[in-house]
Amino acid sequence: MSKTKIDRRNFLKVLGLGSAGAALAGCDMPSYVTSDEGKENIYSYLAPEEYVIPGIGVWYASTCQQCPASCGVHGRVREGRVLKLEGNPDASVNKGKICQMGQAAIQGHFHPERIENPLINGQKATWDEALALVAKKSGGAAWLTGAMSGHQRVLIDAHRTAGGNARHYAVEVVNARPWEDASLATLGDANPNLHIDKARAVLAVGADFLGTWGNPVKSMRDYGNFRSAPRGVLMSIEPAMSMTGANSDIWVTARPGSEAAVLMGVGHILTTKHGVSVADMPSAALAFADMTPTKVLGLSDVKEEQLAKIADTLMANSPSLILANANHDTAKVAQVLNMMLGNVGQTLTPSAAITAEALLPVTGSSKDLVEFAMDAKAGKISSVFISGTNPVFLAPSKLDMAGALAKVGFKVAIADFHDETTTACDVVLPASSALEAWGTHVPVDGSDAGEVYIQQPLMENVHANTRGLGDILLAVAKGAGVDGLAEFEDYYGYLRTAVSALIGSDLEGDWNSILQKGKAVTAVNHSNFNAGGDVALGFSEPAAKAGTLTLITSARQGLFDGRHANLPWLQEAPDQISKAVWDSWAEIHPKTAAKIGAKDGDYITITSANGSITTRVFIYKGIHQDAISVPMGRGHTNYGLYAKNGVNPLSLLDASSGDRQTTELLNSGVSVTVKPTGDNRHLVRLMDVDSQHGRKLAATITADQFDRNQGGA
Amino acid sequence: MPADRPQRKTFPWIRAFIGTAVVGALIVVGAQIFEQQLHPVKPGGTPPPRVPNADFPTDTFDGKDVTQPINYSHKLHAGDLGINCLYCHTYARRSKVAGIPPTAKCMGCHTVVGTEKPEIQKLTAMWSKGQSPAWKKVNDVPDFVHFSHERHLQRFLLNNKDMNIKDSPDVCAMCHGDMNTVGVAKKMKPLTMGFCVTCHEKNKGPADCTRCHK
Repeated sequence: MSKTKIDRRNFLKVLGLGSAGAALAGCDMPSYVTSDEGKENIYSYLAPEEYVIPGIGVWYASTCQQCPASCGVHGRVREGRVLKLEGNPDASVNKGKICQMGQAAIQGHFHPERIENPLINGQKATWDEALALVAKKSGGAAWLTGAMSGHQRVLIDAHRTAGGNARHYAVEVVNARPWEDASLATLGDANPNLHIDKARAVLAVGADFLGTWGNPVKSMRDYGNFRSAPRGVLMSIEPAMSMTGANSDIWVTARPGSEAAVLMGVGHILTTKHGVSVADMPSAALAFADMTPTKVLGLSDVKEEQLAKIADTLMANSPSLILANANHDTAKVAQVLNMMLGNVGQTLTPSAAITAEALLPVTGSSKDLVEFAMDAKAGKISSVFISGTNPVFLAPSKLDMAGALAKVGFKVAIADFHDETTTACDVVLPASSALEAWGTHVPVDGSDAGEVYIQQPLMENVHANTRGLGDILLAVAKGAGVDGLAEFEDYYGYLRTAVSALIGSDLEGDWNSILQKGKAVTAVNHSNFNAGGDVALGFSEPAAKAGTLTLITSARQGLFDGRHANLPWLQEAPDQISKAVWDSWAEIHPKTAAKIGAKDGDYITITSANGSITTRVFIYKGIHQDAISVPMGRGHTNYGLYAKNGVNPLSLLDASSGDRQTTELLNSGVSVTVKPTGDNRHLVRLMDVDSQHGRKLAATITADQFDRNQGGA
Repeated sequence: MPADRPQRKTFPWIRAFIGTAVVGALIVVGAQIFEQQLHPVKPGGTPPPRVPNADFPTDTFDGKDVTQPINYSHKLHAGDLGINCLYCHTYARRSKVAGIPPTAKCMGCHTVVGTEKPEIQKLTAMWSKGQSPAWKKVNDVPDFVHFSHERHLQRFLLNNKDMNIKDSPDVCAMCHGDMNTVGVAKKMKPLTMGFCVTCHEKNKGPADCTRCHK
């Protein structure tokens, strides 16, 4: 006879079976319980357009505002809601493609943390009260924005001109300013058109054109053509691996801050070994002659063979293209090499800006961020409008941006989310999302076609009491008594008139066709390069000595400069290099890790002269031994529920190091010391291990096999 | 020394297992009986209409009377006046959803017809304020079911050689019952998975899971 005895094992068995039984019972519930009658409301259209059919999406053209690149998009609208974005094939910068940040615009649009009402000192107010207060107190206000173009820029300029011409600070920490300045100095054109697709070899030096530099969507498309037969060769020189570096055939790691020396070393080999002439640039010739491979090795740890391989590849694959954004010195050397190698005119052609200069983009830089803080502290700014940027988060702690803002008498934020900056402002004007507003945008990059992109609302406001950026700018400008705006009731009316003037037609059909294509086409100025002859090349040795660590604040597509940290879609999208999600990490070389005694997942405290952050180690071979890379974007203190994680490496940077005119924050390279805290927690990563467990998920062959079979470089 | 008697394998947890199974079964059966009581299915009634080249589903369902914002009558419009279903539910032949007709369509007639009736005046007031009535949904399938009106109308009406477009009420009745007899709306067919699958089997509709559960 068997004895029934409930011991621990049997108890667990019964518990398991019981749970399974309950789960099964749950599964078998009749499905109509969930869709009972009379539980849900259903609304009809009032008087829809003939082509609007419930259940079937209609695509409308607009412009993406997730980063400064301004790609054209199509939004699928169904039952009055925008559900999905895709690239607009008619937009010549992105030709039907968009990136993950663009896709995530939908999530920002329907985000539960949007600002819904105007606020005065944190208290809910009406638009009339808020605008009256703004009109009264914002005389002579400065503007602090992100990159800005189109008619929004026109209105800001009109407001500034009417109020005493205060400065417009355009802040973008992730930018192409070194390249722009070098191009202007050497070619007389700040934004020459790049033809990656026409190059046979591309050398990227700190210009992550497949990640965040310029318009990555355009670059990726060009890169696709560049890699199709005959396959172009991609090379990178950088201290820590970027998306571009990860795709390179030849990846060279250099000590942080030494990129200019490495490029000069390439120049040295081009002149000595390959006999490339620099006769018309004696200063450059001198600089190249001086930068011997031995010197380069001492400065950057890059060996002569590596320099020679890069130089040989550039010689063998003409035309080539050298893109550099590591710092101003490097970008200048790159342009000199482009001139020497005959790339100018082939893979670099003069830009053709639209003739309507008032609409041209104001590209941002971190110089404006630093200067804003200094001007504010000096009491030079009485009032300011802040829109499209988050200076308190972006500024290094040494700048004391919060203290600087406190010195400004009256601050107005135009924002769709609360962040570190809006809380420091006296008035917050709630902006509609970019998918609810009208606007025009002129892309920086590569639009010879004279295109002005139209941003049109894809749906009604989710929150009734928000207004489009253009509408707010118009109201503010009217309140400041700007001439010629009284006749316009809203920004749509203003844009309609302004765009009609731009294309020289106010016919209904022309306007509709502009909205349909998402762009207006206008006249362009074809210019020529104005190469200034001899270029003086400089190289300033980085302060950090060999063997000490330099912090790199890398920019990644996704959270970008931190503006997308409140979007879970982008937080959970694995980082392109480390595959980590939802938290910060610090990339260090295995040898550096051994030196400081840290293993994967160990918490380390990174300390610079300006503060310290504590985050986890991710040991990675794709980084120089003297570098530690902490991607930026996380570490918000007041950006909502989803942006609480991680650390902000920007806070450690030294805003005053070097010459402010020529040092961008991201390249400033601050010296840090690192100490493990003793804690360890697994860093959550997609895939997690580097092993494929013998399953050949990604097939590989040796370099030798590749050279023999594929004829690689 | 006696040989060891082979030990019979015992299942000490068999009683608990049977007990759990009985409780589980009771929950399942009980839940179904409970549901049946909430929505008793009445067999019989008027014989269903005939749709040529199709097997007409006979299950019925006695739905609730749902109070609606406007006391519209299908009986009057579709039954007595004989307006075709597809005149108002025009999206049914082009889209997943049949759609509530846009208010503009109602007002097409009711700016002149029946303006003295209080319900029409209610509608006109909403129309002039730019509001549409908050109708209560009556026929619905769960969100994980992809049902397309367009496909079903193609199969049974538009591509059915023995059917004429004027016979659309017979086809709609397959899943919605005889709407010519009710007020605003009433659920008259169960619209459960069993209902769908039975009809798919009889009419040789697709049987793979992913057709409906995408």
